[in-house]
Amino acid sequence: MSALVEYTPGDSFFHKLDPRSKIVFMVMITVLIVIVENLWIAGAILLTLFLLWLIAGLSLSSLRELATPMIGLAAFLLFVQAILYPGHRILIQPIVPHPIPVIGGRGSVTLEGILFAVLLSVRILAMVIVLPLVTMTTPIHIFTLGLVRMGLPYRLAYTMTTALNLIPLLQAEANMIADAQKLRAFQVFEKGGFLDKLKAYPALVTPLIIGAMRRAQLIAVAMDSRGFGASANRTYIQEIRMRGQDWAFVVVAGLLGAVAGAADFLII
Amino acid sequence: MPSGDPHIIFDDVSYRYPNAKRYVLKHVDATIGRGEFVGLLGENGAGKSTLCQTINGVIPYSRGGRMHGNVIVDTLNTRHTTVARLSQKVGIVLEDPESQFFTTSVLSEVAFGPENLGIEREEILRRARRALDVVRLRGYEDSAPSTLSGGQKQRLAIAAALAMRPDVLVLDEATSQLDPVGTREVFSLVRELNERHAITIVMATNKGNEVAEFCDRVLVLHRGELVAQGTAREIFADGELLDRVMIRASQASQLATYLADRGAPLPSFPITLDEARRAIIRLLQDAA
Repeated sequence: MSALVEYTPGDSFFHKLDPRSKIVFMVMITVLIVIVENLWIAGAILLTLFLLWLIAGLSLSSLRELATPMIGLAAFLLFVQAILYPGHRILIQPIVPHPIPVIGGRGSVTLEGILFAVLLSVRILAMVIVLPLVTMTTPIHIFTLGLVRMGLPYRLAYTMTTALNLIPLLQAEANMIADAQKLRAFQVFEKGGFLDKLKAYPALVTPLIIGAMRRAQLIAVAMDSRGFGASANRTYIQEIRMRGQDWAFVVVAGLLGAVAGAADFLII
Repeated sequence: MPSGDPHIIFDDVSYRYPNAKRYVLKHVDATIGRGEFVGLLGENGAGKSTLCQTINGVIPYSRGGRMHGNVIVDTLNTRHTTVARLSQKVGIVLEDPESQFFTTSVLSEVAFGPENLGIEREEILRRARRALDVVRLRGYEDSAPSTLSGGQKQRLAIAAALAMRPDVLVLDEATSQLDPVGTREVFSLVRELNERHAITIVMATNKGNEVAEFCDRVLVLHRGELVAQGTAREIFADGELLDRVMIRASQASQLATYLADRGAPLPSFPITLDEARRAIIRLLQDAA
């Protein structure tokens, strides 16, 4: 597995945007996708993100890696919502027969339930895509600088981006642990059933958490050793500047977002 | 060259980590002279890393725990000096290169420290270029640290420390994840910093061959205690000590011990490959 949130150098329009425009965009998309209830509009937002992903020159394989774990979640949502959502257009008759008291007549699969499950899946997928879309096109220190210039205290900004920075390292570590287990003929994650996998997780997660804590400690030592927090007025050698294309991007995205929100409000 | 003027003083230093009962350093008393290149030897868990981190105040400041005694760097008592202030006196390079980089380019990595100090941009760039020159990484400014080789990564870590203009450089097992080529790269660079830039070096390591070749003096830690100090030749010739503290001498001195045990009359006790070669040639000539 490649590192999914790690910066991927590139020369795209999206790479060249000021980190602030991308952060604003990310926050806007996240809010919008949560409030929008119309499936078509949510789908359009997801499609836009997909197009931006392509424009940014990010690989489809990493998109697939991001989306694949969501399939299980979507299936689960579909199952739960299809049965429990209080819809009217019944597609499949109740699983529980009517004569049974209390729960009788429940468990019918409705069209509304299925549509709601699809909407939830689209929402989750959009949120899962939008963060890497920003982090993979922005070097981590530029991203941090963007947060600082937006008014976040730099210690807080660094805490956030250092956590982001840890993700690829943890991914690599998880793979290493899984490989080490495979080498000792531990095959539960490939061949085992659901319960076996569940039982096997501690074996993977325990060393991972211990490793992560150790690493966090080391990073703290390394940052302190290089004077982190020494001055309230930290300097930055990089300069970032909101240029015409940044304002254009933010304004166009804002307008489209407003249109989508309004359309959603009018349709519902 | 060592001047004899004390640079780092460990004055009866004991330390235990938070929530730990056992002390990992016990009554360490030692003085490191200005301009010295000191090797810190000891088996895993002997307290080498801990001692390294007392020099720049990370212990006890960032780590917590309980420390007795004092560590004095120049005239600063680390107890009363912030890590940030000490970071301009003491640079530290850690074992794992991955955990000590925070940015995605070589230049911004070197700039990270001076940026924290709030130094003016032009001065930071000057320092960064100078530091990259010294470690011979000019031309890599825009590369991602993750794309560098192991030796280059540690050279970058050294450059990042140098940009803070320290006069002490502490290397905590900085070559233990490197192959022999990377190890040589780092040791040669460190010697150059020591000789040409008069930086005091404290190097925790297990690499006997390099210790023999590069270090002026060796401190030996064992279970948190300073059990011996002396030149590499004195330490490596003391077979009983080496067995007790479970560290390995350089290969040349192992060979010398082997030959001496079997009664071969070596003219001197060699510790480096070169010395061993000369001693054996003498031995063979004498025999002939």
